[in-house]
Amino acid sequence: MAFIVGEGCIRCKHTDCVATCPVNCFYEGPNFLVIHPDECIDCALCEPVCPEKAIYRDTDVPPEQAYFIDLNRNLAGEWAPIIKKKEAMPDAAEWSGVPGKLKYLER
Amino acid sequence: MAAVPSYKPSSSAQAFLDSIQSAKYDRQIITGLQKFFDGSVPEDMRALYSSPELEALKAVKGTPQDVEKRMPVKVTRHYFELARHSRSLQTLIKASPAETYDLEGAPDPGRQMDYSPVEGMIHKYELALLYVASTCSAHCRFCYREELIAKKEVTRPDGTVAPKGLAEVASVVSYILKHNEEVAQGGGRHPVTRREKLREILMSGGDPMVLSNVNLGTWLSSLAEAGIEQVRIGTKELAFFPARFDSTFFDMLDKFHQVYPGIALRMMVHFNHPDEFLAKNADGSYIADADGGLVWISETKRAVKEFGKRNWITVDNQAPIIRGINNDPDALRIMQRELRRNRIENHYFFCGRDIVGHRAFNVPIEEAWRILNESQKGLSGVEGHARLSITHYKGKTEVVAVTNEPLAGVPGGESGVIIFKLLRSAKDAPLKGQVAIAGRNPEAIWFSGYSDRVIFDELGLFDEYLEVGRKKAAAAESVEAAV
Repeated sequence: MAFIVGEGCIRCKHTDCVATCPVNCFYEGPNFLVIHPDECIDCALCEPVCPEKAIYRDTDVPPEQAYFIDLNRNLAGEWAPIIKKKEAMPDAAEWSGVPGKLKYLER
Repeated sequence: MAAVPSYKPSSSAQAFLDSIQSAKYDRQIITGLQKFFDGSVPEDMRALYSSPELEALKAVKGTPQDVEKRMPVKVTRHYFELARHSRSLQTLIKASPAETYDLEGAPDPGRQMDYSPVEGMIHKYELALLYVASTCSAHCRFCYREELIAKKEVTRPDGTVAPKGLAEVASVVSYILKHNEEVAQGGGRHPVTRREKLREILMSGGDPMVLSNVNLGTWLSSLAEAGIEQVRIGTKELAFFPARFDSTFFDMLDKFHQVYPGIALRMMVHFNHPDEFLAKNADGSYIADADGGLVWISETKRAVKEFGKRNWITVDNQAPIIRGINNDPDALRIMQRELRRNRIENHYFFCGRDIVGHRAFNVPIEEAWRILNESQKGLSGVEGHARLSITHYKGKTEVVAVTNEPLAGVPGGESGVIIFKLLRSAKDAPLKGQVAIAGRNPEAIWFSGYSDRVIFDELGLFDEYLEVGRKKAAAAESVEAAV
């Protein structure tokens, strides 16, 4: 069990979640973050702080975002860890709440 | 909820936080039963559950008897390794369908929500408790905070229904400052509750030790800056993952102490059974230490020694007496003796609360008293400090004594009596020290078991159960009359 970063993060990537994570299990891509499912300890501190509400318990992932479950595991294996909060992406406000962002995911 | 400005650490607090090193910990936690069901747990861990056990657990999945829904399942590699050689530890960590045969219990045991001034904080006694995490590295099946861990919906006094939330630094600091200001203006007593200054905070949850050194340091420094004098950390991590107490953790504590030398840290730890910290021979026996006492698991011993080196830190143990785990006077005697030998005070043993599913875990109250009393025969006064406590809505209540001889002339006392005394009472503790006496009921696992044999109750301990009893009797009478 773990938490999953979903579509809402893409092109926003606020990184508020990173500041709360006690086990540094966030991994960073160009415009998206993922959680390593084996490192996550289910502390649930990240979920409420995401301004985009993009983080889900893996048992509560909306059906249309089920794809992100495996995506988090795969990308966590490829990307570097991020342990400090940074500035959100420059166009975060523009992309906030925009549906269908998966096509903009950069690897 | 009014917006609270986000907490800004002072410059010395910020300097302390900036100096904290974090580390990555490899707990190898297995969460849930799915990996056992589909066989994807590490090969050597498959033995934790037998096939018939897994079948029985699968059978209740998705039903009201779902074991994971009542209390999530979690185990660390460290604890699994110990449990391999310990029946007691297996009982503590292994899910079982027996947990949900009988789901009777209180959704909010002790009605804690009545004492919650801000989200994630319980201010009942003179100290306040904070939920800083809603998970632990592993989960005890008998957890009495299962409503927090499993995120169950709880009804608050104002009628809203929502899972219990975690405390936030800014709201907690704001409450402490406001409360203590009101106490100061009230001449040293709070105008409404008559409490003195709030001086002590217990960090709880869940297990605060799942948090990083920076998270913990943030709480410690912000509480210190708000004027708190003693901070307790309640944790079972010494049993589940002692490697958490590494040099980076103690380094953080030492730096904290340099900046805030007046603040005391009280580690409130939770060992249920000596198998959680003692080394064993192949035949399962404990090993005599050449220096005296018994040999500990080295990682655990190292952590406990490090605490002992710091004179501003105390360590106390508290544990419930749970069927199949530690309802054994000899195990408890060894545990109390060895803990005290290693500078851990024996604080309390508990009777199980009336949590959902409590019938699977609770030992009858009178039996728990007998077990603890037996275990303390042969302990010196210094080793045998722990009292047996059961938490009533009114407060922590000691089970003082259970007698066997008839009390001449006292109706209800024909088989002896059980004596309760209130240890901790809400707010300014008006009822502390008051007593309740009931006739014996060897089967009673909760106060309700005595409602028909109350002899003396200056406390009002049995009031709510008498009310329920009266209603039941009235309902039964009217049914009989109708028939």
